[in-house]
Amino acid sequence: MSSQETILRGEGLVKDYRMGPARLRVLHRVDLAVRRGEFLCILGPSGSGKSTLLHLLGLLDRPTAGRVFFEGEDAFARAKRWRDRMRNEAIGFVFQLYYLMPDLSVLENVLLPAMIRTSLAAWPFTRSAERARALEVLNDMGLGHRVRHLPRELSGGERQRVAIARALVHRPRVLFADEPTGNLDSATGEDILRLLVRLNRETQLSIVMVTHDDRLARQADRVLHLRDGKLLQHA
Amino acid sequence: MGEHLAWPWFWPAVAAGGAAVVALAALVLLAPVYKHIVCLKYLFGGWKAVVPIVSALPAALGVFLLILVFAIMDGFVMETREMTRGTLSDIIVDAHLGGLPYYDDFAERIEQIEGVEAATPVIQTYVIARIKSSGERLKPIVRPCVLIGIRPAEKAKMGRFIEYLGRSREAGPAIPAEHLLDVPPELRAPGRPQRPGAIAGTAVVGVPVTDYVMETVQAGAGRRVLAWFLAAVMTVVALFVWRAQVHRPDRKGWVLATVLCALSAAALVAAAVFAPVHPGRVLRPEVVDYPILARGDDLVVSTIPVRPQGGLEMDPGGVPRVSSRALTLVDTFKSNYWEADSTHVYADFGVVQQMAGMEGDAGRGVPARATQIQVKIRDPAQAQTIVGRIGEAWEAFQAERPDADLPTVSVNTWETQQQMILTIAKVQRNITTLMLGLMFVGFAVLIALISYVMAYIKSRDVGILKAVGASDAGVGSLFLGYGFLIGLVGTALGMVGALLMLHYLDAIEIWVNEALGVDVFPRTMYYFDHIPRHLSPWWCVAVGGAVLVLATLASMVGGLLAAIRQPVETLRYE
Repeated sequence: MSSQETILRGEGLVKDYRMGPARLRVLHRVDLAVRRGEFLCILGPSGSGKSTLLHLLGLLDRPTAGRVFFEGEDAFARAKRWRDRMRNEAIGFVFQLYYLMPDLSVLENVLLPAMIRTSLAAWPFTRSAERARALEVLNDMGLGHRVRHLPRELSGGERQRVAIARALVHRPRVLFADEPTGNLDSATGEDILRLLVRLNRETQLSIVMVTHDDRLARQADRVLHLRDGKLLQHA
Repeated sequence: MGEHLAWPWFWPAVAAGGAAVVALAALVLLAPVYKHIVCLKYLFGGWKAVVPIVSALPAALGVFLLILVFAIMDGFVMETREMTRGTLSDIIVDAHLGGLPYYDDFAERIEQIEGVEAATPVIQTYVIARIKSSGERLKPIVRPCVLIGIRPAEKAKMGRFIEYLGRSREAGPAIPAEHLLDVPPELRAPGRPQRPGAIAGTAVVGVPVTDYVMETVQAGAGRRVLAWFLAAVMTVVALFVWRAQVHRPDRKGWVLATVLCALSAAALVAAAVFAPVHPGRVLRPEVVDYPILARGDDLVVSTIPVRPQGGLEMDPGGVPRVSSRALTLVDTFKSNYWEADSTHVYADFGVVQQMAGMEGDAGRGVPARATQIQVKIRDPAQAQTIVGRIGEAWEAFQAERPDADLPTVSVNTWETQQQMILTIAKVQRNITTLMLGLMFVGFAVLIALISYVMAYIKSRDVGILKAVGASDAGVGSLFLGYGFLIGLVGTALGMVGALLMLHYLDAIEIWVNEALGVDVFPRTMYYFDHIPRHLSPWWCVAVGGAVLVLATLASMVGGLLAAIRQPVETLRYE
């Protein structure tokens, strides 16, 4: 399904955390590449460093050593403003705990990336187009009737679909999913997974998913096993 | 406005204020739209909106008190200023009790200076006044007073002297200025010797007492204002909560909204019940001078003449010579400036000159003297320039008369002459303002704490926003905007409250007096017939601006916390 073009590459990624005077190494020189349109799964038990690796690849955190290339650009050699822009325009995130803004409605949550990149002065001119796009994505997720509700009024599966809608509304090139079904019952989890697979197949969206559940990993194009901060094998 | 325009920093202040407003507008317009939406949601979203509104109350209270107290204190300063100004002239050339010879020549010289309208010599001397009512069996009252010798026609051109006279206040035929001190025939008792006329302050020949006058319209106004204010506040809060409930039903919110609406309705009913639609009648306190002397009665003034060199006139036996004179009261004088109304007695220039021993002796070559020359100028803004010119004219005048041994004189504007009393009023105003201003320190600490707690509670939101591409500075400034909005709400509430209070101050005072049985503003103590107030729009702008700046700066605590927080810290440890 995926092309041979590499959209994202990590080289010698190391991440240390300070634990008082001691340093805890969570990632040990991890190398990996993600191809455009690929569904990559990183599989590993809790505490293996999956989320940390996802945060580094998603430009949310800076590696202690190593480099991340996003579309050929050395991301951490560029200004922080550039990384902010990439997260806003080219990357989408889906988290296990959804991470929706509790004070914003469903529609406002999905509009958030657009509201971050648009000034108040420009908003009246772009609002209707952005709103139409957000409603289109929400309808696609089967949430057209929930746009005015607050996240706390939705079920877990609905919240995760809102989070996916927010991650997709700006047409990202890469979607990072951190245990996207970890907080859902099995039926809802399967729905969400089918949704991700459909998106990957239909839109050629690159997806990087981390999970500890090998049943989910079977849906991916490629699976990497991470244990104690080291990549073990390619499947 | 003219006074404001004369302020040297007026236009720079306007330019700076305009630039600040434009910069603020640009910041608001160019800021990403999520900041405005999230900030407004934090402030007004759901029933929790009560929390930031409550946190705005210290700012509202500070703004309310600062504007109210400053307006009243400034009112004291302004009205004292106006009253003292009215009793004096624009510029005073003062030779003190020793006296100023050749005063007419010098007054003529002053009148030739550009910008001077008129100049008149005046004699001022301290006297003991004995006041004894002719009609009632009261013990005589003896008071220290200032006897002022004037030429009525010339004095009438200075200050607001004419307006303060009793006969001017009464509706009657106008008396020509040159006859103000004449004793009219109806006041001349047959068989009694003819005395010179005198005009005395109402508190010199009377006793100030608080009287109560019946007044309409004001009844219930204080209760009405209070009830309306409460109803307005309740309604605004209830509307916010109801608005939130319409979109997002929530059980606690419904209960709160219902309680608030019930309270707001109760306040409106209270406004209707306690505030009569038809005007009522109440007793309003007013200060009046209960007269001891009537027009036509005599008062006796006694003084000790002063020699040109400053020594007292002595009898051959070495005892100071006392000069006494009976004067007939022809009019009273009331400026509302206590100092003048309780001590000033005006009499003819020649009479006072003779009593003070300043009439001179042509045979011995001793010139007659006055103690002051009062000067009226055309443009008050030119006062300092003309003061300088008069000083130069006096030096030239002295140089022309090297053998005359002319005294040193002081030339001052009326404001400098009354500097002590004005300075005291200003110092009181400034100290009170400073003390109240300290309230804002508490407000700033509160805002800093609230913004810190908000940034802490909302740390997951901070992580989400940064994950979706918001910059550190952008997320930090969201909390600055939050503090700014709390300051804005507080400023608006406080300012509206203060303006309402100032507008209805007299009515509220009457209501408090009635309700609590206390005299909030004793007229006899302050000698104003109302609580003075003067509100400068610049002061409102300064107070409002200070609160907004302070609120924004204080909320930097939360802003910094949000800005430096790494998104993975909050998203990882949820």
